[in-house]
Amino acid sequence: MAHAIKFHPGMALLEQFAEGSLTADVALAVAAHIDLCPHCQQLNQDITNDLACQLAQQNVKKHSNDWTSMIDAIVDQPQLSKAAAIEPATSAATQPVVVNQREFVVPRALQRLAANHSKWLQLGGIATAKLPAGKEHHVSLLYIGKNTEVPQHTHLGLEMTLVLSGKIVDENGEYCAGDLLINSPDDTHTPRTMADEDCLCLSVLSAPLQFKKGLTRLLNPLQQFFY
Amino acid sequence: MLKSASVTRHDRVPRPITDTCEPMTGQQSTTTSQWEEALTFVALQRDKSAYAELFSHFAPRLKAFGMKMFGNEQQALEMVQDTMLNVWKKAALFDATRGCASTWIFTIARNVRFDMLRKKQSRKDDISADDLWLNGEYPEPQADDDAACWDNQLLTEKLAPHFERLPPAQREVMEKVYLQEKSHQEVSDELGIPLGTVKSRIRLALDRLREALDGARN
Repeated sequence: MAHAIKFHPGMALLEQFAEGSLTADVALAVAAHIDLCPHCQQLNQDITNDLACQLAQQNVKKHSNDWTSMIDAIVDQPQLSKAAAIEPATSAATQPVVVNQREFVVPRALQRLAANHSKWLQLGGIATAKLPAGKEHHVSLLYIGKNTEVPQHTHLGLEMTLVLSGKIVDENGEYCAGDLLINSPDDTHTPRTMADEDCLCLSVLSAPLQFKKGLTRLLNPLQQFFY
Repeated sequence: MLKSASVTRHDRVPRPITDTCEPMTGQQSTTTSQWEEALTFVALQRDKSAYAELFSHFAPRLKAFGMKMFGNEQQALEMVQDTMLNVWKKAALFDATRGCASTWIFTIARNVRFDMLRKKQSRKDDISADDLWLNGEYPEPQADDDAACWDNQLLTEKLAPHFERLPPAQREVMEKVYLQEKSHQEVSDELGIPLGTVKSRIRLALDRLREALDGARN
């Protein structure tokens, strides 16, 4: 990737990701970011090493359990060959996501889920497709055509947007592939694409968007579209 | 317990890390390559006594991890059983050249636990541990000289207060390397932790210090 990724998940978020304590849908956005970001790949590896070493060195009470029956049951089982031990290839479905006659290759973490996305819903230059993921949050792919503005909105909950391809710009900056935007309920913004480039994002929302300005408030009944 | 997504734009305040890296009495002689060797014997020779050794070290600690994450013993034990069964069955996948045995076992436990939580919802198409955590390695990133150029600026007065706020395990390593000028290998021997973990903690601490200074992260 030619450009440097500028917006990363915070250290606390990475730590919870490595530990496995994030909710699945938030973890998915972090995992997809990590797939795109060598810097966070290294951090994630380092955090995992650190956590694992803390686990291995932890003080525990001796002899609080009798493990012999568990050990015996386990070593009676056959071991797997290397080939058999590798999970059935999750990479089998490296199909691009197709929208608006464009093809996008999504990061590894999203490939299996993106292959099962729901049908695209279109509104103006914007299209969304839900991924079969998440209970707590709504996870979808968000396509924004060239030269398109998403009306100014605020968030009733948490909004995570990971740019997968192309570029979006809002009041706070410019976001390119790999950049992760996190907006909390207080943030209001008006994301848009540039004249010459469309954009595909992963969107993770914990509550619907709320549109702020003039006639776009008429969109509020349509907020389910983005959610 | 699932933490709700406590995500803010500036979460630079370090989350308290339960640090359990007290030097272990009686464990100090445990060389860091012991577990890698044991696991290799398990893989190559179905070595049951090497497995029992691994098991008796890791199972109680995995159980403590499970208790912390699930808050109940039954699920914690289920996680231990599933994890240690995978360690036995999939030992052939462990590659000592790519990392520590503890890291390999920890990631299995984390994934087992994650999938245990998801399974309750019985949605096959939902997010799985395999989606989230790459089973293997990312391609080697280009050489990162960041750490090197940060060395010089480290421990200036500006950094001192942030240094104090590092998680204890990272601060301990940093003090030995930067204040007592010990080599990474010496620190590894002294603390009885793998060399890779020494390097990991240094990189994490450097990143935290950088983050504390310029706040480039969400």
